[in-house]
Amino acid sequence: MSVVRTPYDLRKIKIPKGEVHIIKERCKGCGFCIEYCPNDVLIRSDEFNAKGYHPPIIAKPERCVNCGLCQLICPEFVIWSTPKGEMEAFIRN
Amino acid sequence: MKRTGVYVCHCGGNISEVVDVKRVAESVGGQPDVVLAKTHEHMCSETGQNLVIHDIKEHRLDRVVIAACSPQFQGPTFKATLEKAGLSPYVLEMANIREQCAWPHFGFPEEATKKAMSLVGMAVAKVRLDEFLKKMTFPIGRRVLVIGGGIAGIQASLDLGDAGFNVYLVEKDPSIGGKMMQLSRTFPTEDCAACILSPKMADVAANRNIHMLTYSEIENIEGYLGHYEVTVKKKPTYVDPDKCTCCGDCVGVCPAVVPNELEEGLLSRKAIYLPSPIAVPHAYVLDAEACLGLLPIACGKCKEVCDPGAVDFSMRPELVRFTVDTIIVATGYDIFDAGQKKVYGFGKYENVVTALDMERMVVHSAEGNPMRPMGKRIAFIQCVGSRDEQVGNEACSRICCMYATKLSQLLKRSDPSRDIYVFYTDLRAYGKGFEEYYKRAQGDGVKFIRGRPAELVEDPKTKKITLRAEDTLSRNIIESEFDLVVLSVGLRPNEGTDIIAKLLRLGKSPDGFLQEAHPKFRPVDTLTDGVFLAGTVQGPKDIPDTVAQASAASSRAIRLMNRGEYDVDPVTAFVHVESCDGCGLCVDRCPSQAISLVANVAVINEALCKGCGSCIAHCPKDALDLHCYTNDQMLAQVQAALTDKKDTDVRTLIFADDMTGYRLADNVGTAKMSYSFDSRIIRVPSCSRVTPKLMLQAFVFGADGIILCESEKNSNPYPHSVPTIMSHVSKAKDILGQVDIEQDRIHFVQFVTVMLAGFVNNINRLSEIARSLGPIPAGPLRRLSQDMDKKLFGGDHDS
Repeated sequence: MSVVRTPYDLRKIKIPKGEVHIIKERCKGCGFCIEYCPNDVLIRSDEFNAKGYHPPIIAKPERCVNCGLCQLICPEFVIWSTPKGEMEAFIRN
Repeated sequence: MKRTGVYVCHCGGNISEVVDVKRVAESVGGQPDVVLAKTHEHMCSETGQNLVIHDIKEHRLDRVVIAACSPQFQGPTFKATLEKAGLSPYVLEMANIREQCAWPHFGFPEEATKKAMSLVGMAVAKVRLDEFLKKMTFPIGRRVLVIGGGIAGIQASLDLGDAGFNVYLVEKDPSIGGKMMQLSRTFPTEDCAACILSPKMADVAANRNIHMLTYSEIENIEGYLGHYEVTVKKKPTYVDPDKCTCCGDCVGVCPAVVPNELEEGLLSRKAIYLPSPIAVPHAYVLDAEACLGLLPIACGKCKEVCDPGAVDFSMRPELVRFTVDTIIVATGYDIFDAGQKKVYGFGKYENVVTALDMERMVVHSAEGNPMRPMGKRIAFIQCVGSRDEQVGNEACSRICCMYATKLSQLLKRSDPSRDIYVFYTDLRAYGKGFEEYYKRAQGDGVKFIRGRPAELVEDPKTKKITLRAEDTLSRNIIESEFDLVVLSVGLRPNEGTDIIAKLLRLGKSPDGFLQEAHPKFRPVDTLTDGVFLAGTVQGPKDIPDTVAQASAASSRAIRLMNRGEYDVDPVTAFVHVESCDGCGLCVDRCPSQAISLVANVAVINEALCKGCGSCIAHCPKDALDLHCYTNDQMLAQVQAALTDKKDTDVRTLIFADDMTGYRLADNVGTAKMSYSFDSRIIRVPSCSRVTPKLMLQAFVFGADGIILCESEKNSNPYPHSVPTIMSHVSKAKDILGQVDIEQDRIHFVQFVTVMLAGFVNNINRLSEIARSLGPIPAGPLRRLSQDMDKKLFGGDHDS
């Protein structure tokens, strides 16, 4: 199958939407959440927190699907997502 | 004293029109052990065979030479004839004076007759030394591997399963069904493809003799007929098919979306999905690549909502190993990548689609869920990717004319206000009911225009496609706008097929599909024993032909397995015990590990020996030999080939392997392509049989050039023969160099059976080289024959 077009029904399909929350000051800069987010929602920020680490920031909020891996993988209880209804599907690539 | 009977066949004129068969018979009659030499119109007919049987009894013949067609053609017939007369079938030699004499040299009767006499002389020399051998019989079981679960694989599995054989059906997709599952209706009856396929798929699941391995790929296959060791990698579906109730709750919560393969990417699916509404096995599958992640588990929502607890993230890839006796390859096709035809804008223009895309669109329209508006004006372009030198496929893909006739009719009948055009080159409606179906399409108002569109242009605002073509029958240029253009894409060999072909060493036809053993008489066999082909893997064809081939392949497999044993010619190595000094050099050299040392003497395991002859060259004492192609026989043939050579002649020896070289020589003759008649072809099981010693001896006896023609590495049944031959040739050339004989007198070429022109060119080239180099002077020849063993093996056993 050669993939040359967007599926015709893509916009009709709904997937869960999530909202990411970060408690910056708790972060110890391990980078797990950034590395493991399946949809590349987070990137390392340039700002520092009080401990001197670079916490994550939300680069692509529209791609968060509330999978919860960031919450699961963070060692410091810094980051989690909450459900925020549904949105149009997109192909992850 | 040997008592040989020689028969020279007219072959109904095929031979006698060129070769003076009476003269040939007379030429050999004078030899001491030739008791009789006769001619006959048709040796292979019942009267011909009865003549041989009668003569064997009446004249107490104990060996027979038949000068006729190729031994690969009627060899089995005449072997059976000897058996009927109570004689071993292995004291028969055939002189190939048809495919390798009368046919290629058809314009030169005098030279052809002289060459025929020489070839018969070689056969007489060989038969003199034949042994009274018996066939070898090996046991064979009832296990079959079917690679590919499309309609061909399904049909073959059902035939074999119903016949009581054990089938392993391996399919790489999560469900069986293949391309047929994607089709809307089938021509010319307009049966619903999924409806007629589905019961067959259910039958496969229900058949106790069929073990289905879906979502699985072949990792490795080793072995041979009766003993193929198969390793299959089974991918995890992460869903237990026994627990899954197909409720679909998982799909609702899955956040990962990808293009749907069944729908050719026109619709989407989730990472967890049911491969098709009629999927077999009928269970959901989690596509690990599409999923957000399983290591670690990123999301896990599907498992949370699964009531029966069928989702199981602990599943892992499995290696499944089993042994089978025969294999059927049914891996199918891929459609031509329409993006390669840049002028048609596939992938750029929204409204240009492939015929397979259209099949899916028709399926959904018919269900009342159209994927997209199709508009009123639709054009089909035929021969996309077929009959096209530019994209490297000159062949016709056979089914596109008919599937376009079908799709155009379905579209017209579902909305008669549509304007549907089919731009064709030829309209090929060759099968049962096809022409009538085409007429019906014309009657329905589908317009067929003979002309291949040159270019498609998209209107940037409306996205409609302007098509420019010549209507060659009315000589008008048509420039017209369409809402949708369908490219009738051709069939191409499947990517996965390449891997299987390499593993099983199967040859390819010029069109890229897998090669059958003989285009007329063995259309589903391959040149590898026990491996058969079924369906589009062998070439483009429609469903009825695919099903017919699948049943044919099953029948051929059953034919081999049903008796519980199969026969093999006793072409195995043996040891001249009195010459063997137990040095053990041969033991490591056997590619099949068939040689061992017992009580300081080499012993051959006949069950393991493949008869390649590689070991022979390594024995410094000439203690190793090969039944049916003994050292003495090889030398006798060489001598007989050179004995009538005049000083002004050039004579080249062509050693040709059974699998390809000899077959190719036959194909060249059958195609009536001519080549130099200085050549004498000597048949060998593999050119690794040709020792450096034999080559050097050939020069001493008067050969001017030698060429070794061997199966190319990837389709060679003896995987180690090519490097072995290279080392033999290198050694022989080395010694030629030492005695100032030109090394260019020895050539080694790898072939596939379709390289006819290549064969002719190489033979002619060798003759030209030999002619231009002139005969080898006496001095170097004398130096060559002195201390030949020393030159070959050094002082002691240190080669």
